[in-house]
Amino acid sequence: MNVAAPSDVDALVEHLFRHSAGQMVSRLARWLGSARLDLAEEAVQDALVRALQAWPFAGVPAEPRAWLFQVARHRALDLIRRDVALRGKLDILERETPEADVREQALGDDELAMMFMCCHPSLPYAGRVALTLKTVGGFGVGEIAAAFLAEPDAIAQRLVRAKRQIREQEIAIEIPLPGELGARLESVLDVLYLFFNEGYAAHGGENLVRADLCGEAIRLAGILARNPATDLPAVHALLALMLLQASRLPARVDDAGDLLLLSEQDRARWDHELIAEGLDHLERAASGNEVTPYHAEAAIAAVHAVAHDQASIDWPHIVRLYDDLLALKPSPVVELNRAIALAMVEGPAAGIAAIERIEADPVLARYYLLPAALGGLWLKQGDLTRAAQHYREALTRSCSAPERRFLEKQLARCGGTSLERHT
Amino acid sequence: MAKFLVVARGTGQAYANRSPQEMQQVLQKYMAWTAGLRDAGRMLHAERLKTDGRVVRGAAGKMTVTDGPFAESKEVVGGFWLLEATSYDEVLAFLKDHPHLEAGSLEVRQIWDM
Repeated sequence: MNVAAPSDVDALVEHLFRHSAGQMVSRLARWLGSARLDLAEEAVQDALVRALQAWPFAGVPAEPRAWLFQVARHRALDLIRRDVALRGKLDILERETPEADVREQALGDDELAMMFMCCHPSLPYAGRVALTLKTVGGFGVGEIAAAFLAEPDAIAQRLVRAKRQIREQEIAIEIPLPGELGARLESVLDVLYLFFNEGYAAHGGENLVRADLCGEAIRLAGILARNPATDLPAVHALLALMLLQASRLPARVDDAGDLLLLSEQDRARWDHELIAEGLDHLERAASGNEVTPYHAEAAIAAVHAVAHDQASIDWPHIVRLYDDLLALKPSPVVELNRAIALAMVEGPAAGIAAIERIEADPVLARYYLLPAALGGLWLKQGDLTRAAQHYREALTRSCSAPERRFLEKQLARCGGTSLERHT
Repeated sequence: MAKFLVVARGTGQAYANRSPQEMQQVLQKYMAWTAGLRDAGRMLHAERLKTDGRVVRGAAGKMTVTDGPFAESKEVVGGFWLLEATSYDEVLAFLKDHPHLEAGSLEVRQIWDM
């Protein structure tokens, strides 16, 4: 009598398969070597299929994660037995096989080592991104393609190429030694930061996979922050930044799924637990001499998070933090954000003047937020015609469906519609 | 109330190329179906069968045993549920939108209660 127990549906914690897949691939590949990454992935996929075949009848096992680990390990051994080239190693591998150790610290070491392999600076950037999501994140090729609005075949190709490079260059699955940790960590943080930004831009939109990238970035940054090898200021700063930004996600869209401006958001809907956690990591980020762009960005997010209401936001402080950020990482996108903050201190005209100085920058040529910001500032100035002009321009640039609806709503406030031709 | 056996057939590979997240979503549908019938007191028993097996033939001392022809078969019996229902119609209503229908077929047989 194996009728599924009452807690079965609840026993399947959210993303259990995805996270376990990442952990199991990391564990097995670390054990078999990076050249056998495909074998590790195959064994894990088979273990998940087995669960799908067995659990509907037998119920969810008491320790689902341990069950999956054990099946994946046996499956890996089966695959090795079939591989003539590996047969000689079988005895050693069987003896050395660690029992399915699913304690968080051991798993964290595997995932961390795998992140360093996936984000190795000698791999092409797009390959690092795809590989991290696939092997550590447990995302499918189709999901990665959807997340980056790419073709599945293109993503599959990137993965094949990255894996070939890993084999050829013998990139190991290991946590780098302190001497080379700096550059290697920078690459990992860079990839996580990209996940978060992609996910944040898509949140509340129709593309749920993209929105999941935020959660994945936070999960992986948390693994870095908890591991003694990477418990470093830059890691805490990035994690703080992501937590503080993510705290606003529940309030970022209204009931109809439309985007709300920061000033329109209901602060009661911000996730105060995430804010507290973010501020805690920001404090830990200050524990050294190192100051990274993540520090400045997290500090800006913190100023927003701790303000009691829109009127009490310390905008002059934010402008100064943007100056710090520009000194660390000059970027026209940061200039644009600084201009918006400056408008809050000195008025819309100052903001418009600042934006006009960077308008011609080629980096911003297709960036919808530039005309959107100008539209907002002209709207505040009371020049509806000019505001409408800029919103129409913004609508010609690529953005998500909720962003598009937001721009159309703003345009309607100017008394125009997107179909009108501007003269 | 009568007893009905629901036999699930399939290759077992229908979901082999899905992502982990998609597989979990499929699994959740199965578990929700099972839980629904169990909570209604209609689920009596369920078993998953292993994929390997033996086929036995040959009367009068000429018994031969072969490994089951399961690997090649498209419609392997993967497992079964034993349900309680008032009629075939009610069982069929239970099976409407059953997740297994995307992976294979279901055979329903009433238990012959002599």
